[in-house]
Amino acid sequence: MNAALPTRRWLLKAAGFSCAAALLPLAGCATSSQGQEEGVTQLRFMQNKPEVVAYFNQVIKDFEALNPDIHVVQDFNEGNFVPSLVRNNPPDVVTRGFAQATADFTRKGVFEDLSGLPSAGTINPKVQALVNSWGQYKGETSAIPFSLAGAGVIYNREIFAQYGVAVPTTWDELLAACETFRAAGIAPVYGTFKDTWTLQQGAFDYVTGGTVDVEDFFARLYAKGAGIREDAAESFSSNFGPALPKILQLTAFTQTGASSKNYADGNAAFGKGQAAMYLQGPWALSELVKANKSIQLGTFPLPATNNPADTKARVNVDMALSITRNTPNRAAAERFVNYLLQPSVVNTFNEKNAAFSPLVDAPAVSNPQISGLAPYVAEGRYYQGAGTYFPPSVPLGNYIQSFVYNRNASQFLRDLDAEWRRVAERTAV
Amino acid sequence: MTTTSQVGKATPPSTRHTASAGSPPLRQSRDKIDPTFYWMLIPVLALFAFFITLPALVGVFFSLTNYAGYGDWKFIGLTNYINIFKDPAVLQSYLFTFFFALTTTVVVNVVSLAIALGLNARIKWRTGIRTVFFIPMVLSALIVSFVFNYLFSNTLPVLAERFGLTPLASSILANENLAWIAIVLVTVWQAAPGATIIYLAGLQSVPSEVYEAADLDGAGSWRQFTHLTLPLILGYLVINVILGFKGFLGTYEIIVGLTGGGPGMATQSVAMRIFSGFTGGDYSYQMANAVIYFLITLLISVIQLRLIQRRGVSL
Repeated sequence: MNAALPTRRWLLKAAGFSCAAALLPLAGCATSSQGQEEGVTQLRFMQNKPEVVAYFNQVIKDFEALNPDIHVVQDFNEGNFVPSLVRNNPPDVVTRGFAQATADFTRKGVFEDLSGLPSAGTINPKVQALVNSWGQYKGETSAIPFSLAGAGVIYNREIFAQYGVAVPTTWDELLAACETFRAAGIAPVYGTFKDTWTLQQGAFDYVTGGTVDVEDFFARLYAKGAGIREDAAESFSSNFGPALPKILQLTAFTQTGASSKNYADGNAAFGKGQAAMYLQGPWALSELVKANKSIQLGTFPLPATNNPADTKARVNVDMALSITRNTPNRAAAERFVNYLLQPSVVNTFNEKNAAFSPLVDAPAVSNPQISGLAPYVAEGRYYQGAGTYFPPSVPLGNYIQSFVYNRNASQFLRDLDAEWRRVAERTAV
Repeated sequence: MTTTSQVGKATPPSTRHTASAGSPPLRQSRDKIDPTFYWMLIPVLALFAFFITLPALVGVFFSLTNYAGYGDWKFIGLTNYINIFKDPAVLQSYLFTFFFALTTTVVVNVVSLAIALGLNARIKWRTGIRTVFFIPMVLSALIVSFVFNYLFSNTLPVLAERFGLTPLASSILANENLAWIAIVLVTVWQAAPGATIIYLAGLQSVPSEVYEAADLDGAGSWRQFTHLTLPLILGYLVINVILGFKGFLGTYEIIVGLTGGGPGMATQSVAMRIFSGFTGGDYSYQMANAVIYFLITLLISVIQLRLIQRRGVSL
């Protein structure tokens, strides 16, 4: 260990020098063209959604008008984040979807403690708990939620009305609705199995989230650590069995040829009214409207049991603000984060992007596309998708795709347990 | 791949030099070497060492740690290496990659030799046809595979359905047992022109007198091919097989564009697995995988170089 430190520092230095050498000409161009003013702090703000660049540009403009001593540069190249950490030159303010991958940065202490910010008190504690549930660094608040995305079954209101189908509240009603559409010659569900992530966040997350206490399951799984055998009480084999046949029942109601369609195909086809339901999150809504301006959409949480009280919505903290540790511009970064968390900025963003505001006094949701989820989100009847708890080194989407194609549930559970065991063994050491 | 091409580029000047140094009537003295050769080599050597050797050594170093690519880490010895041998997903990717590289090498060489024979014959519009055959080589593999992805997923199933070929009506990219065929097909389509050029050069180096003599002796075209053409272009065949095989072992972008490693885990290549370590927080583990893969390819290269030397072919 002692021998390691100088070596590592040396390596980083070497890497830094090489990068500096490579970037020198570029940096020269950048500074000369921008002509930085005296006394202006430059902040780098990284966000990962290309579709909201324009919105944040406007926000930054307003912020800079109020704070002439700060200049904010928006950076939406998320792929740069890990390399920037390695170079020890990360962006000052970061927002990412908050799940296993981001939580891993948090647990390694990449972000500052934000619990002292005045805006931290305006956040709904239940939503903040979603962030903290991923693990904290020394009990700190490393990220403040900015946007909460609720996902469920997107449905075509016109097709539902045409065949007199009401929004299903139980699993049996859902199957009955599927049968009705199939009998009418309409694909009940549009499947895009070629993109494995759509299977993961759709059928897999919705059914497991409605039948298994996902948060508790993964809490026990993480607590147990390495060496979980298939017959252990914490294993996938012992917990996910009952959910799997329902996934197959659901995927069997997709159109023929679902295995060769991808997400873009799905958006185009569902937008044209080729299916009644679509297992996608709010990010698909704008794409569907793009495909068909007059489409009437709604969302309901997938009822995975016959007890409507069990039904929950899938949520994820789609954006959470963090400040990277040891930034030289901490004070400026805190002012920017506080500005972003003003109700007018947060609520406008979430209203525009069909998401839910994480503030305590969030306004009621009027958007008909997601209003079906609003009561569930307001009451806190939600879960974070099981797929989001997996470390990114587990190719979960590929395993789910295999399972849907081969319909071999026991093989799928064995694979998950074995893969989890191996990852736990090599990351726990 | 890189190493061989480097060796290939680096050797000719030095061999030529020693050859010319051997002949007596020279302006320079025997022991003095023209410094120009060093000026040509040293920058390349320095760049190579700095951008390839050094990062590779850093990778080897981190393969002995549990470094995720960021944050804290510690030494864990050979644990990563031991775990790799217990990981069926990694082992499967090795099996797939070698199977794929072998199959593709065979198919590419058969196809491109056939094309080269055709293009070398006296046919009409020979230059124009040659140009058409070389177009795949200038297209990016990623673009080619996205176009083929569309053909396999949308165009082919529609055509098959119209003509009543039900087995083809669903995309072969979605079939765990057949997806590799699509990958081999696209790789061959993309790699064949390069091999064809080398074969064409070989075929043009065969003097026409030998065929005239064979004609007089009454040898048929098949006998001419197996007894004259093939032995005379054997060196080119060896080069194609070796370069091709090594290139196909590193296959990545065509698979990403076609199947993304799916369906399920059916078409994950070793390179894809290694690359997943950068995004997956699995950096040190996949670095260990990369080191193992490097050793394996190194071993194959050494064996191949031995074979070449015995054949008297120089790359």
